[in-house]
Parts: sequence; C-alpha cells; structure tokens
Amino acid sequence: MNSEVSNNPPAIEVENLTVSYGPTPALLDISFEVPAGKLVGVIGPNGSGKSTLIKSILGFLNPDFGEVRLFGQPADDAVGRVAYVPQRGSVDWDFPITVKDVVLMGRYGHVPWWKSFSKDDHQIVTESLEMVRMADYQGRQIGQLSGGQQQRVFMARAMAQGADVLLLDEPFAGVDAATERAILDVLERTRAAGKTLMVVHHDLATAAEYFDLLILLKQRMYAFGPPSAVLHAELLSEVYEGKVRAFADLVTTGPTNNGGAR
Amino acid sequence: MMQWLYDVLIGPLAPVSHQKALIGGCLIAVVCGVIGCFIILRRMAFLTDALSHSMLAGVTAGYLILKLTFRSDNLDGPALLLGALAAGIVTVALVAFVSRVSRVKEDAAIGMMYTGIFALGAVLASIYRDVIHIDLYHFVTGQTLGVTDNDLWVMGVITAFVLSMVVLFFRQLQIVSFDPIMAAAIGVPVLAVEYLLTTCTSFVVIGAVNMVGVIQVVGLMVTPAATAYILCDRLSRMMVLASGFGVSSVVGGIYLMSWTGNFPPGASIVLVSTLQFLVVLLVAPRYGMIADWLRRIRLVPEQVVEDVVGCIRRAKGKAVTLEAINKFVDAPPTQVQRAVNALERREWIEIDDARISLTADGRREARRLLRAHRLWEAYLDHVGVAGQAVHAQAHALEHVHDEETIDYIDDKLGHPLTDPHGAEIPEDFVHLVPGNEVKAALLREGHRAIVTDVQPPVTATGLTPGAAITAGPRRDEGETWTLITDDGEEVRLDHNAADAVTVRLISDGFTDSSGEAPIE
Repeated sequence: MNSEVSNNPPAIEVENLTVSYGPTPALLDISFEVPAGKLVGVIGPNGSGKSTLIKSILGFLNPDFGEVRLFGQPADDAVGRVAYVPQRGSVDWDFPITVKDVVLMGRYGHVPWWKSFSKDDHQIVTESLEMVRMADYQGRQIGQLSGGQQQRVFMARAMAQGADVLLLDEPFAGVDAATERAILDVLERTRAAGKTLMVVHHDLATAAEYFDLLILLKQRMYAFGPPSAVLHAELLSEVYEGKVRAFADLVTTGPTNNGGAR
Repeated sequence: MMQWLYDVLIGPLAPVSHQKALIGGCLIAVVCGVIGCFIILRRMAFLTDALSHSMLAGVTAGYLILKLTFRSDNLDGPALLLGALAAGIVTVALVAFVSRVSRVKEDAAIGMMYTGIFALGAVLASIYRDVIHIDLYHFVTGQTLGVTDNDLWVMGVITAFVLSMVVLFFRQLQIVSFDPIMAAAIGVPVLAVEYLLTTCTSFVVIGAVNMVGVIQVVGLMVTPAATAYILCDRLSRMMVLASGFGVSSVVGGIYLMSWTGNFPPGASIVLVSTLQFLVVLLVAPRYGMIADWLRRIRLVPEQVVEDVVGCIRRAKGKAVTLEAINKFVDAPPTQVQRAVNALERREWIEIDDARISLTADGRREARRLLRAHRLWEAYLDHVGVAGQAVHAQAHALEHVHDEETIDYIDDKLGHPLTDPHGAEIPEDFVHLVPGNEVKAALLREGHRAIVTDVQPPVTATGLTPGAAITAGPRRDEGETWTLITDDGEEVRLDHNAADAVTVRLISDGFTDSSGEAPIE
C-alpha cells in the first residue's frame, strides 16, 4: 500500500461500540479499524455477537453507545457503500428468475422506478458476473446452479450495487472443499479489485489461511489483528472455554507480538 | 316456569328428525375433532376442502356404477362410502403427482385438482339427474334434518372405524406428523400412515358433508381443533378437547336452529363453532388475547424498576413516599406503581405506612446499580465524552450491568476509585467478600488479606504466600497500589503487578457482616 491510500479514512471504523438487548450486552466496547482492500474474518463461538456486529455495520441497529463509520462517514449516511450477502437459506430457488436478473436487482437502488436500465447498468452487471466467473451462466434459472455458484451470484449482486464494503454471512457454510476454493478465489479477486470484505466464519482451521485480519469476538473483542496475533491457544481456550481440543494445531508459529487488543 | 324450561331445553329435541340430527352430528363431531387436530397441525385445511368437493364426483360415479351393475335403488350408503373414498384417494394421489413432476407448489396443485374433479362431478350429476338422486343444493349446504336411519348407521361405522384407527396407531400418526424423516428412519411406513390419515379424513368428510354440507365441512373439521389448540400443549388432550368442542357446536347449533326457527341447521352448527372459537381466543388462559394483554401491561420495564431503586437510594436511608418517586422517575405513574409492587415482591423494599425504604437486599442492589452507573461514567469520560453528556449517557448505559460487563470496565479503567465528578465508586462486592480469593488489584484501602499466590513480574520480598497484608492508599492518581506487610514495609505495585498477586480477603475494613456498606 502506498502512503496516499493509507492517508484515506479506514473502510470500516468501529469505535467503542456497545449494543445490548437487556442487562447483558450483545457487544461491549468494540473498537477496530479495517483499512480498505482487506479480507477480514470474524470468528467467535455461537451467540458471540457476530451477526450483531454485521447488523451494526449495516446501520440496522441503534447502538447503546459508540459509532460505526464507513470511509469516515457515519454508517447511517453510507447507505449504498456497503452490501450484504445473506446465507443461502432465505431464498426461493424455484423462483422464475435468471442469474442475470438477480444481479440486475443490485442496480434497482440506482435506477428510478420510471426509468429502464441503461447500458452502463448492463455493463456493470456483466462485469460483476465476470468477476465471480459466472458470466457463462447468466441465462440460467437460479435453482439450476450448485450451492457455490448460487453464493457467487449473490456476491455479484452485492458488487453490482456498487458497494465498496461487502459483508458476508458464512459463505462457506455447507459447501464442499472444491466449492470453498472457488468462493475463496472470488473473495480474493474482489479484494484485488479494491473492495473490503468482512466475512463471518466458523472454521478456525482455515481462518489463518484465508484472511488478512481476524476479529475474535465474544461480546467483547478479545483480539484483532493478523491471524498470527489472534490465533493463540490461550486466547482461543478463553473464548471457546476450552471446548476446542486442537488449539495447539491451529496456532501459527509466527511471532508472538501482542498485536491483539485486549 | 317449568313449561318455559321445557320449551327451551327439551322442546327442540321433540321432533324425531332433530333427535337423529343430534345423534348423527355428535358421532361425526367426535371424529371431526380428532382428525381435525392432525389436519391443522399438518396445515392440511385446504386439502380437507378439496376432499369434500371431490366427493361429489366420487359419489356420483359410485352411484352410477352400482346402479348400472345392481339395478337397485337402495344403495345410498355403500355408494357414498366407496365413491367418496375413491375420490379422496384419487385427489390426494393427483395432488402428490402434480407437485412432484412439476415445479407447481402443493397448494396450487390442490386448487387445480379438486376444482377439476368437482367440475367433473357436477357435470356427471347433471347429465344423469334422472338416474341418481343427488340434490346439489343439499350437497352444498348439508341436510342436517334429513338424516335417515341409514345415514346414522353409516356415521356410526365411520366413527367406530376412525376412532379405532387413531387409538391403535396414535403413535405412528403422531411421529409421522411431527418428524417424518425420523419416522422413516426407525421403520414406520410413512406413506402407509399418510394414506391411513387420508382415508380417515375422507370418511370423516363424508359424514360431515351429510351434516353441514360441502362448503362448511372445513368449519366442522378445523374450528373445534383450532379452539382446542389455543387451550393446550399436548396432542392427546387437544384431541379430547376438540371432540368436546365439536359436540358442543352440534348441540348448540341444533338448539340455535330450533329457538330461532329459521336458521339453516348446517350454518347454525358452524356459526356456534366459530363463536365458540372467538370466545376461547379471547379468554384462553395462556394463548388468549386477554391473557396476553394482561401480561403485557403487567410487565414492568426493568429500567423503571432500577430507576425507582436509584431514587430511593438517593434519599440516603430515609424513607420516601410514592409521590416523591413519581416526581423523579421518568415513567407513567401506573408503571411506577407496578415497579414498586415488583420491588416489594422481590423484598428489596419495605413499605411502612406509605413510607418506602430499602431492605438489606435492596441496598445491595442499589449499590450494584450505583457502581454500574459510576463505572459507566468513568468509562464515558475515558473514551472522551464531554461533561454534560456523561451523566445522561451513563444513566442509559447503567442498565447494562451484568457482572462480566462491570468487571471488564472496572479492569479496563484500572479499577478507578472515583467517577469523573469525584464521587466514590462502590467497591466490587461480588468477588470482594471475606474468605474469597481475589486479585490484589481489587483491594481498597483498609482491607486485610493473606497472600495466596504471587506470579511474575512481582518479586517483592515481603509478598510471599501466607504473608498477611493490609491494603494502603492508592498513589499516583490511583495508578499505584500499595500493600503494607505486617513488618510495616510498603510494597508498590502497578495495575499489572497488582493483578499478578492473589490474596484471600480476611476483613473488608469498614463494612459489617451483612454487606451493608454506608451508601452516600
């Protein structure tokens, strides 16, 4: 990264974020900054506030305290700069719609209802499909795709929205190893195009390999930084309460600098 | 008077047709309730409607075939039963077929198939109206008062058959409805059980069509079961209740018809059953609307409860009145009243002649809230919130006060002694109890304790396991802890070092054993 880029405000900036649903906080005093162009993994046990964090960044929640900024703007004003790729469960795969039409939905927010789509819109859709290597499938009905291909179509839709920040909720859930590779490949290409990606992830074994930065979450932020600074046996057994046996294997043998904020 | 009672209660049952309607109706209502439970739990209400309509084709066809083969006129019973059963099974099979081979979803498939079969039946019935005696009008609206002895026998057989099937195969029916995949895995013949349920449903529909007609069959099948559903949480009890509601609908309907004189019987029955549902929906103890409404208005927001505690605490031990609380707590008086009631139930307050004061438990809770409030204030000051906003923000945030949160903030801020306004933050009194092992960082001036463990980086000679110490005052604006050994040596520790020393608390300086520290 050159100095010009590092002078820009961070893509995602969370400051002292506290969100609660009653006396117990869902998120407590979370602070971190993600520079643009990073692929970030959010890890933590079930119920640790991962989806609450995603919703907060999308601006869906009213935090008790703290702020979320995207490129220096409050999250509420940054609508359109952030897109969300949902889990696959919530869609009717028999719905009569083609791959291209799904991605075109990403443009709905940019085109007034009385206007038809411009050449540029179609161009953006084509580029997005190429980015996820799905351009050959644009005429297919979405139910005819495999799980990984469906995931990629929804990533293309998020990109067609013109968002610079993409939030993904467990894109690797329930896919086979080859598909996981293909999705990871798309994530990396997206990052190479300058987007910032934040991914909710469950598999500690692959976390170090896939992500530039990791956030270890359980209500509080236990660690944030490069995987070598986050994946420490001590920290993980504290957060997962010793439930994961093979911590020792996960821990990278990198320098034990204390990059993690506690 | 006796005459009036007779007219109202016994009179309606005098005509033989009414008696037959009552007997037949009750027989059918029992099985309607039982099967209706499965229908609503499996969301098959629409399929019931479909079965009742397709019956027309089945009955017509059955009648025609028997008529042409046996050339007899007295074939109502068998024709009805066999034809309707066949029509039911054909409908279900067609629906399953269409939704399997096409992408059309099941509800659309039902809609297409049953209207098609009903239309076929209507055409057949019209063409052969000279040969068969099916009165389309009565088929649609029911012939409650036209129940013949023959019909009664049919209904009796239906009821006996369906009840014995449900009693014999209750477990299979239950598991197939609840978790079909697990049922298949343990070897329950799922398809056979589903066809058994369809067969039973077809039979029940046959009987019910006779009573209330095609259109209102769903009402007799679904409404009593739905009424039972909002009253109980067990399938077996739900079936018994549903049967009861079915019977009461039939009885109520026949009386309603007699009293008014001109209500159509089928409509009266379904009307009573619907009214019955609405009443139960209103007054049901758990899932009823009134119960729900009462629950909601009785619910006191925990925030109001906590604000009331805070308000009584600020009276510094003196008793306060409800009016005074109302003046300071920002909530409607009814909510404040309910919060006070809730506090009294929790035994956090005592009310003596309208004077309200905190109990020992209440004082402890008040101190916990005060600690939460002042720590949040210190936190807000720490992250740079400016003067005026601190108090208001902390007032909202103090309601986030579970132990872990408070411990985290306390530790993050270096166990501050005072809040930004200089007021003392009450000490940690959850962990800091005589006899407990705690980190030395939690100690306040005056605490006596025995050292139990010392970890690096602490190397001070005076601190070895077993040594008795007294906590001295905090120095350097609270950043340095001092521990005084019994030799009079003062050991200075920073936050990190104080966390590395574990001690067992002997006495906590100023509080008495009940934990009632003076609250300012």
